[in-house]
Amino acid sequence: MSQTDPRIDWEAIERSPEFRELIGARRRFVLPATIFFLAWYIGFILLAGYAPDFMAESVYEGLTVGYCLALTQFVMVGVLGIMYLRRAERVYDPLADELARRALLPPPSAGPTGDAPQVPVR
Amino acid sequence: MTVIAATNVEALVIFAIVLSITLVITYWASKRMTGAEAFWAAGRSISGVQNGLAISGDYLSAASFLGIAGLIFIFGFDGFLYSVGFLVAFLTVMFLLAERMRNAGKYTIADVLAFRLRERPARTAAALGTLTVAAFYLIAQMVGAGVLVQALVGIDFSIAVLITGVMMLCYVIFGGMLATTWVQIIKAVLLMTGILVMSIFVLERVGFNPIELFNRAAENTTDESTFSLGPGTFLSSPIDTVSLGIALVLGTAGLPHILMRFFTVPDSKAARSSVVWAMFIIGGFYVLTTFVGFGARALLGEEGVAAAGTGGNLAAPNLAQFLGGGEGTFGGDLFLAVIAAVAFATILAVVAGLVLSASGAVAHDIWSNVIRKGQDSEHEEVLVARVAAASIGAIAIVIAIVGGEGLNVSFMVGLAFAVAASANFPALLLALTWRRFNTAGAVTGVLFGVISSIVLVIISPKVWPGPDGEGGALSFYDLANPGIVSIPLGFIGCWLGTMLSTERGNERQFAELHVRSETGLGAEKAGVVG
Repeated sequence: MSQTDPRIDWEAIERSPEFRELIGARRRFVLPATIFFLAWYIGFILLAGYAPDFMAESVYEGLTVGYCLALTQFVMVGVLGIMYLRRAERVYDPLADELARRALLPPPSAGPTGDAPQVPVR
Repeated sequence: MTVIAATNVEALVIFAIVLSITLVITYWASKRMTGAEAFWAAGRSISGVQNGLAISGDYLSAASFLGIAGLIFIFGFDGFLYSVGFLVAFLTVMFLLAERMRNAGKYTIADVLAFRLRERPARTAAALGTLTVAAFYLIAQMVGAGVLVQALVGIDFSIAVLITGVMMLCYVIFGGMLATTWVQIIKAVLLMTGILVMSIFVLERVGFNPIELFNRAAENTTDESTFSLGPGTFLSSPIDTVSLGIALVLGTAGLPHILMRFFTVPDSKAARSSVVWAMFIIGGFYVLTTFVGFGARALLGEEGVAAAGTGGNLAAPNLAQFLGGGEGTFGGDLFLAVIAAVAFATILAVVAGLVLSASGAVAHDIWSNVIRKGQDSEHEEVLVARVAAASIGAIAIVIAIVGGEGLNVSFMVGLAFAVAASANFPALLLALTWRRFNTAGAVTGVLFGVISSIVLVIISPKVWPGPDGEGGALSFYDLANPGIVSIPLGFIGCWLGTMLSTERGNERQFAELHVRSETGLGAEKAGVVG
């Protein structure tokens, strides 16, 4: 169900350095962040499963190690969520918007550069 | 067990108010119903904040509210493990799928697969995954609705299921995604308000010192209590705990009714911000659930366990009654009625989202694109969607009534998450990221995921006790949660199918999907609704 826009050369864009830059920038954050949160989370459930006594130890009165570690999971979700949101707005969106803008411009050979009217989307 | 209440008049009145509001919204939405995009994606007119609330409303089922509060009340820490998994899952959704889905898809998760794979087999496989998840989840919610409404309001189980089903179908058939979205938003606001008020009442008893609440909860136990501030009381086998945890954190990223919500926003930026909103709302909710669960333990104690019914589901409503002044007082009955109405609204919002996603699989995927090969009109697609929703709803109502209270709700929800994590999630992720992936891989992966989840749950100890009445049907396999086996099987299926097939993926189509999913270039534009 390819909704191909004939004006767009997808393979050329995919090969372009600008696209590689966008993918790379996103991956540099998302890949380590995903590995980190999965490791931290799975570490937490491994402890819950295999070290119940450690998790039940008291840190301060009724507050146990398990609840403290669970709390770090909540904090992790909030911090990673906000970090990704800010990076996306600052770094990825400008790169993606620029790529999209340029892809919809008519090719340079089609007319004089600079004042070619931009083709509206759809 | 006194779980069948006398008819609670306050509850009936508040239920009627909630239902009236949702029907007014449905009427308003039906006037704006202009076509397929309005029906399935609310014209892509929902803002990030609204969608964040709606995702929360779609996601936080009665199992999350009453179920987790009840588990925390009875078992303590182990109940909270579910909350952590349900929340961390949104990082998976945000990092791997949310924006890509919005950029690449149209109405259903099958759209993303069909983009680069051979359309008919890929869509059929994705529709199978969607329908399996939706079916188990939907029936579980309907049975839960029947049990709760019967216990809280004193309406008969069958009638309660019927009312829930009819309301759900009204929202979906007449108001489509727009009505469903607003029902979910209102539900999220009601639920958050309800649980916040309850938490404040609870914390007020302990001088707003959460540690004191932990202390009192731990003290208010007897020798029979299973309650503990450490793990190992509810989930007794360590490997089962891990298996459940993994299924929760990956399963959410394969729930069709959640993923479908990303098609309702104008662009991927709104999809992204809506996940972050949902994270904070859902995270806040689960912190408050802990206060409610511990509050029930500290204030109702071990005597409250019997009154809380199976799985402690009625712990939260019973706590509300206690906080309002106790049984027989106006304040107590009123608070109970309000919390009961919130629970009811909670179920309605979830089942509406589920029916909508299932109707998408039947009408948009199977009918429109597999059977009619895209030759049908938009009018026909929406008509078929309404018929499909009505049929799916009717089947779910009948199964819930016939199966009755005996159906094991938590096992069906567990199965839904296992299928979502083992069938839908691997196929979607690989379609978006693996260049070599092909149609055979998607079909094999979905089949492996669906079949292994179902078979492993059937032979699990809970469903098929072994000869000694303890282990499962097979002596070497005793997992209650299949995720740790079925999720790798789903991925292996995707890989194996891909490698065994001679089909080479269409390079140009993958390039288009890749660029589109990463940049939003060529993504479905926001339409105009109302």
